[in-house]
Amino acid sequence: MSESPLLKLDQATIQFGGLIAVNNVSFELNKGDLFGLIGPNGAGKTTCFNIITGVYKPTSGKIFFRGRDISGVPSNKIAQEGICRTFQNIRLFQALSVLENVVVGGFLRHKTGLFSGLTLLPNAIKETDHLREEAMKLLEVVNLSHVANHRSADLPYGMQRRLEIARAMATQPDLLLLDEPAAGMNPQEKDELKEVVYRIRDEFDKTVLLIEHDMKFVMGLCERIFVLDRGLEIAHGPPEDIRSNPKVIEAYLGEPV
Amino acid sequence: MGKFWTVRIASVVAALAGCFIFQTVATNLGNDYYLRLFLLAGLYVTLSVSLNLINGITGQFSIGHAAFYMIGAYTAGILTRAYYEQQPLLPELWLVIMMLAGGLFAALAGLLVGLPSLRLKGDYLAIVTLGFGEIIRIVATNQQSVGGSYGFSFGPKVVAPWMVCLLAIITIAICRNLLKSAHGLPFLAVREDEIAASAMGVNVTKTKVAAFVLGSALAGAAGAILALNEGYLNPDIFKMDVSFLILTMVVLGGTGSITGSALAAIFLFLTIEIPRNIQTADGQKVQITLASLLMAGLAIAIAISLLRKIKDHFHGPPNQRLIRNLGVIGGSIAGAIVLSMILNATTVMGDKTFEFDKLRMVILSIMLLVVMLLRPQGVLAHHEFSWDFVKRLFRKDHDDKAEVAS
Ligand SMILES: Nc1ncnc2c1ncn2[C@@H]1O[C@H](COP(=O)(O)OP(=O)(O)O)[C@@H](O)[C@H]1O
Ligand SMILES: [Mg+2]
Repeated sequence: MSESPLLKLDQATIQFGGLIAVNNVSFELNKGDLFGLIGPNGAGKTTCFNIITGVYKPTSGKIFFRGRDISGVPSNKIAQEGICRTFQNIRLFQALSVLENVVVGGFLRHKTGLFSGLTLLPNAIKETDHLREEAMKLLEVVNLSHVANHRSADLPYGMQRRLEIARAMATQPDLLLLDEPAAGMNPQEKDELKEVVYRIRDEFDKTVLLIEHDMKFVMGLCERIFVLDRGLEIAHGPPEDIRSNPKVIEAYLGEPV
Repeated sequence: MGKFWTVRIASVVAALAGCFIFQTVATNLGNDYYLRLFLLAGLYVTLSVSLNLINGITGQFSIGHAAFYMIGAYTAGILTRAYYEQQPLLPELWLVIMMLAGGLFAALAGLLVGLPSLRLKGDYLAIVTLGFGEIIRIVATNQQSVGGSYGFSFGPKVVAPWMVCLLAIITIAICRNLLKSAHGLPFLAVREDEIAASAMGVNVTKTKVAAFVLGSALAGAAGAILALNEGYLNPDIFKMDVSFLILTMVVLGGTGSITGSALAAIFLFLTIEIPRNIQTADGQKVQITLASLLMAGLAIAIAISLLRKIKDHFHGPPNQRLIRNLGVIGGSIAGAIVLSMILNATTVMGDKTFEFDKLRMVILSIMLLVVMLLRPQGVLAHHEFSWDFVKRLFRKDHDDKAEVAS
């Protein structure tokens, strides 16, 4: 028997009033996977991220991370467990600089106490410098080190998306959830993003679960894809199978890709 | 670590020197009334900077800061009345102990109020702090043991101006240190976006409560200084006006800016206190005519609309814009004076007059209105005083252009 999957959704369901946004969804992610979650608008993809990261508690069903039940654990604890995410509608700390945004992510693993910070003791200074250095390294990975001191709200759209990835990476997660990371990017930016995602998986040893609308992008990048429609699973498998699956074509793709 | 200790020792020496200067100035004012103003202005710096920690840095809307000021003051007053006689300590040492006690009780109250209301999303804190401020005032008004609405006195008075200065410096240092170290970032992150902060592992409730309790404790310590300085307390000292004044200081100074809150505290406190005592040569209160008042209002309205125009459409260098702004303001003032003189000379307006000191709150409201219209982020916005800025002022070659380009 191999080790347990990194992430496992077991019949996860969430209901908002009369609407079942995610309906009996089950899938597993193993360490090192590059996993795609696709489906038409309103299918429940972002809601899946929200129940995995503790924004909402599933109405029924369970979510396991490294074999441990994490359904309903609050967001900040989930981040400590090693799952971090980006947001479809970018949520940067707008007034903070690009570098500071990433340091917030890194601060999750801080060791000095608040008292050291309030009195600016040497250990707090040292830790701050260290976190800034680490953040700077991540900014290089996503190609943003040249704008490290700019206000994050002033960055163009594509850069803001990459900054969100760097910020999430700073929490040192094992599982990274990317919600439409390529939305609003031009083809060249998308190619660069693809490289970044590969690096994150191969160099940094992360597992990546991503939501994306651009089929070319997902099909080219992900090794396994899960298709959701109106909260329900309609297909699950490698890109080749998904591409030719009649149900997927009917519900989502419209025509074969 | 050599550099650390050099900086640290230099800061402490500078702080002590500041306290010494404050003390010297205070004791040489020669007039009890001025001394009191001076001390109160210092206390307001602490109050404003500590509220800025809650409202500006952490983004929680607390509007009842006077409540914690009051709790600190009453704690110190009650304890002094009960125990001062039975202990052998120096008055200054007693003051320090009272500051700690006042801070502790205010912190506990902060925890009591903050914990339930800060767990919830939304602006519950504003409502709860507003209510809390009124409740404890009413409780004190109905407690005969503290003299009800007449208040109570206790001895001895401990007038220690240097302590006022020291508390303000400590408050500023705490906030500045927080922002200098990575520990401040979660607070700012909570202000910017709670959901994202939480996704990055920030315990949002804990962070908010920490800011609230710390801010309350500092206000409580300021209350203890006030109590021992006056030797007398009553509930009316801590009316809602005080909370409103502190809040105005934070908003005007630029929410989030420590420098802004501190400067606005001094400026606003003097703006509302000085008119109280401006007198004409024969000891009468200054009167202001209805015509002057109307013209002043008109001038402000015109100045605001012109300044907005300049702000939106003028793209020249900053110094030229500054000159234009000042020109508009100066022109408006001059125009208002001339027009009101003309109007006063005619009999159109009659001779309706107002006492100037009744207009204190009006002036405060107008200032708030003007700043909100022209610069919603506050005068200093999020900028802080820094030595780099001073250096740049004195250097001829301005390299800020290079910074923008990079
Ligand atoms: N907090 C909520 N309350 C009510 N309905 C919600 C909530 N969050 C999401 N939904 C609904 O759930 C459905 C799925 O939304 P979402 O997960 O954002 O879709 P997408 O697949 O496009 O990311 C939508 O119909 C949306 O309106
Ligand atoms: Mg979505």
